[in-house]
Amino acid sequence: MKIAVVGKGGSGKTTTAAVLARTLARQGKDVVALDCDTNPNLGLSLGVGDLETERLLTLRDQLDDGEIDHAPSWDQILDTFGTNAPDGVRLGVITRIENPDPG
Amino acid sequence: MKVAFLGKGGSGKSTIAGTFARLLARTGQPVLALDSDPLPGMPYALGIEVDDSPIPDDVVVEGPDGGPRWVLAPGIDPADVIENYAAVCPDGVRYLQFGNTFGHISTIQRAQFAWSETVAGVDPKWHLVGDLPGGTRQAMFGWAKYAEHVLLVVEPTVKSLHSARRLLRLSEAEFAPKAFSVVANKVQDKADIDRISDRLERPVDAVVPLSPEILTGDRGGLAPLDADPNGAFVKAVGTLVNEVVAMYPVDTKGAK
Repeated sequence: MKIAVVGKGGSGKTTTAAVLARTLARQGKDVVALDCDTNPNLGLSLGVGDLETERLLTLRDQLDDGEIDHAPSWDQILDTFGTNAPDGVRLGVITRIENPDPG
Repeated sequence: MKVAFLGKGGSGKSTIAGTFARLLARTGQPVLALDSDPLPGMPYALGIEVDDSPIPDDVVVEGPDGGPRWVLAPGIDPADVIENYAAVCPDGVRYLQFGNTFGHISTIQRAQFAWSETVAGVDPKWHLVGDLPGGTRQAMFGWAKYAEHVLLVVEPTVKSLHSARRLLRLSEAEFAPKAFSVVANKVQDKADIDRISDRLERPVDAVVPLSPEILTGDRGGLAPLDADPNGAFVKAVGTLVNEVVAMYPVDTKGAK
């Protein structure tokens, strides 16, 4: 199954998505949690902590600097750029905006 | 003064910004409330109906090569756009929104350019009070660059503070505002204030208390100034208005 959680800011999207992901994982399902927000906070609600949530975001800089290689496949993207969250959920972050840039 | 309210979704930007605009207007100054949120919340706080009428397409024409994609049409200046398309609100506030997405998805781009071209050329007599969508995207792309002062609305939660830390990076932007103020919202006790100042590593400049009257008003679609005009929320925003006014003394020559 593939679920997307949407709604107004502050309505509880991230919190709901995190609880859904961990509940499904506890039922024995393989769960990938994808944070598609340009201001990604899903790691905080899944319980990986703020340092790990920020670390996922700096991976892009390492890519741009040539320190790590691009992942050639979907599975490898999650392996390389994801992180393990409680209950066996695998978290991946799709988008973020780090540096202010007009345009 | 030219201010913009930023913060995570749900932190209370629109509610504070709309109240701020009306209280500022009560000092007798012309106030233009600017809303670049495609799902606007500011009308509720200003006390007007949300409508679904973007700035019309023919307000802009295609811009010159190398310039903006759309510019104001010949014969139309920012004052005309405000006169014709900025809603009249209580206390005399004018409200300019770039066209929301309840209906006009296909035309919103031209309305957005009309909005930003108007803001870029607005008469300095106007005090600008801006409200951005939640999160970092618009702010990082320069949608608040009209603001000399950013008011960062933060609630004492981990996620709201996380977003606020990211938004403080705007101070490194080429269009960085002159100053930031941290506005702590939904504050219940001293520990909430400490939580915010510790995490942001800077003092809290304004404290807005958690207010059950405002939450109840929200459920009934009442603006804070109508739901609880003399309550703690309105008082706190009034204090903030006075503090910002003191930072940016009014040029009476420019005021009507």
